[in-house]
Amino acid sequence: MQQNHTQLADDSYFAAVTNAIRTETTKLLSEGTVAAVIGYQAGTRAGTVIPTIITDAAKAGDLVFSPGCVNNLALYLTKAKKEVRPAGKVAIIAKGCDMRALAGLLGESQLKREELHIIGVACVGVKGAGAGSGEALTTGTIARKCRECTVRAPEGADVVVGAVPPLPEFSPVEAEELARLEAMTPAERWAFWKGHFSRCIRCMACRQVCPFCYCEQCLCDRNRPQALETTPRPAGNMAWHIVRAMHLAGRCAGCTECERACPMDIPLNLLNRKMARELKTLYDFEAGLVPVEKGPLTEYREEDDQSFIK
Amino acid sequence: MTKTITEQKLRSLMDLLLKEGRRVVAPRQAGSIVLYEPIDSGEQLVLGIMPRRSAKETFFPLCETILTYGKDGNGVMVSDVDAGAFPETILVGAPPCDAAAPAVLDAVFSWDYNDEFFLERRKKTIIIGLACTAADDACFCTAVGLSPRDDKGSDLFLTPVAGGGYLCDAVTKKGKVFLDTYASFLAGGEAKPLPSAEPAATPLDLAGIKDWLESNFESPLWQEFADRCAGCGACAFLCPVCHCFDIVDEGTETKGARRKSWDACGFGKFTNHASGHNPRDIQNKRYRNRIMHKFKYYQDKFGQTLCTGCGRCVRSCPVGIDIRAVLEEIQAKP
Repeated sequence: MQQNHTQLADDSYFAAVTNAIRTETTKLLSEGTVAAVIGYQAGTRAGTVIPTIITDAAKAGDLVFSPGCVNNLALYLTKAKKEVRPAGKVAIIAKGCDMRALAGLLGESQLKREELHIIGVACVGVKGAGAGSGEALTTGTIARKCRECTVRAPEGADVVVGAVPPLPEFSPVEAEELARLEAMTPAERWAFWKGHFSRCIRCMACRQVCPFCYCEQCLCDRNRPQALETTPRPAGNMAWHIVRAMHLAGRCAGCTECERACPMDIPLNLLNRKMARELKTLYDFEAGLVPVEKGPLTEYREEDDQSFIK
Repeated sequence: MTKTITEQKLRSLMDLLLKEGRRVVAPRQAGSIVLYEPIDSGEQLVLGIMPRRSAKETFFPLCETILTYGKDGNGVMVSDVDAGAFPETILVGAPPCDAAAPAVLDAVFSWDYNDEFFLERRKKTIIIGLACTAADDACFCTAVGLSPRDDKGSDLFLTPVAGGGYLCDAVTKKGKVFLDTYASFLAGGEAKPLPSAEPAATPLDLAGIKDWLESNFESPLWQEFADRCAGCGACAFLCPVCHCFDIVDEGTETKGARRKSWDACGFGKFTNHASGHNPRDIQNKRYRNRIMHKFKYYQDKFGQTLCTGCGRCVRSCPVGIDIRAVLEEIQAKP
C-alpha cells in the first residue's frame, strides 16, 4: 500500500538555519573568537553533505544545513581525530542528539567547555536509512531516531539557530522494534542477532564514527594477547558487538551514527537503546543530559546493589 | 545466432546446476540487503539489484582458513587446506563492474606468488555477467573505462530484453562450452535489448591523474581530501578490487587455525610496525595510499586501474568522501 508522506519542513526552514550558521561562522572567525568551525558542506550527490572544518571566514558560505546533515560532528573533537582538530577554541554545529555526545565527552574530560563554542541547531530531523540522496525530509524518510527525538531544541549551546516548525506525531518505530525484541525468548533473540551479526564484515565503521570510541588502543585490535577474534566469523562478530554495547553502556547518547554507518544494515542502535534502558532502570541514569564526571558503571557507591556478589 | 533465455529458464538452469552439485553464487536477499551468497534454489536469485558487497568474495572470501593446527600428547599436527577440493562454482548475475574485477585481481594474485586459494577458485568458476539497465548517482563505470554492457571478465553475458528474459552471449571458450552443454534452456531468435543504464559520469583522464600522483606524494591536497576520513574499512571491504588481507592465528595452545581475512589501508593499524613505528601515522597518509594504489601503483606494476567504478565506496562512506570528486580535483591540477 502506498502511504502518503508529508514533507516535514519547507525549504525556508533549512535556508534560515543555513544562513544563521553562515552568519555566526563569519562573525566567530572574523572576530577571532574561534580558530575553526566544524560544520557541513554540500556533498557531491544531491542532498548529501560532508563534514568540513573551516578556518577562513571567507569560506563561511560553504556551510549548509539540510536533511542530509546526518553526521555527529563531535567525532572531530575526539582524541581519535586529534590530527585534524585545530588548536584553540573551536565552534561546532550540533543537533540536539550531537549535543548529548558533547555533554558525554565533557563529562569524560575529553573536551573543555571553554574551548568549545556550540552552535546548536533547533532540528526538525534528518533523513534515515533507505532515503534517496535527492529525497525530501518527510514522515517517510525521516531517520528512526528523529521520530522519537526529545532534544529538538538543544539546551546548553552558546547559540541556537533555527526554529522548529510544528511537527506531526510520529509512531515510535524503533521503540516498537525494541519491544518486539524484548518480548522474544532468549533463543529467538539469539537467532535475531546471530542473523544480523552474520553479515558483519568487521569494517569497524560503527567504531570509527562513534564519538565515544576514542580509545587509542581498542581492546578489539589487540593481538598480544588477542582479546577477541578479529576475523569476521560468528564468534568474533558476536564478541565485538557485545563488547561495543557494554563499553558504550551509560555513555552512548543515542546519536545512532554506528547504525547509520553500518554498510551491512545491522540495527546496532537497538543494542544501545537496550543498554540505555538498563542504565535508566538500574541507576536512574541517562547519558548525555548533563556533563557528569563519572557514569554509573565507572563509579562505586556504598548503596549500589551488591546482591549479585555471592 | 543470438541465444535467449527466459527468466524462468534461467532459474531452472540454476536448479539443475545445484542438482549437479555445483555451487551457485548469486545476488540473494540477506536480511534487508542483497549479497552475493550461495543459493539453494533458482528462486532465490535476485536480478537487477546491485549487491551491497562486491562479487570478489566468491574468489577471495572475507575470511578463510589456510591451515589448522593441533597439539596433543603425540606432538603437533599441522594440516593445510586443500584448495583442490574447492567446488565448481557458477557466479551469476554480476554487473560489469563486478564481473570485470576478478580478472583485474588475477595480476596481483599470480604476481610474486601464486595464491592457490584465489587462483583455484578462479579456475573453477564460470562468471555469468549481467548488463545494467539502471544506474544510481554513485555509479561511474563509464569514467574508468567500463560500461553497463561491458562483458569484460564474464564467461557468459546476459542482456535484459524488452518483455522479459535475456540475450545470452558466450564471451569465452569456457562460456561457449557451458552454453553448448545447457543449450536446451536456450532459445534462438531476435530480441530487443532494454536500454542500457547511463551513469552520469564522464571518462576520467587516468593517465593525467597518474602523472599528478607521480609527483605529488607530498601535497597539501591529501589533507584536504582526507581530514574527514573516519578510518573505517567500509570502502575497501565493499570494493570489488581492494584485495589487502591480514593473516592471524586464532585458537588455543592445543587447537586453532591460521586465517586470512580482509584488511583495509584505512585502518590505523594497517601499517603499524612491531617496533611501534607507523609510517602511515595519520589518516590522510592512509587515504593517499588508497588513491595511489588504485591509480598509480597498480598501473605501474600491472598496467591496470584498480577501480571498476561500481560506486560502493561512494555509497558506503559514512563521511561522504566521493572518490570521483577526489579524482576530478586531481585531474584539474596542472
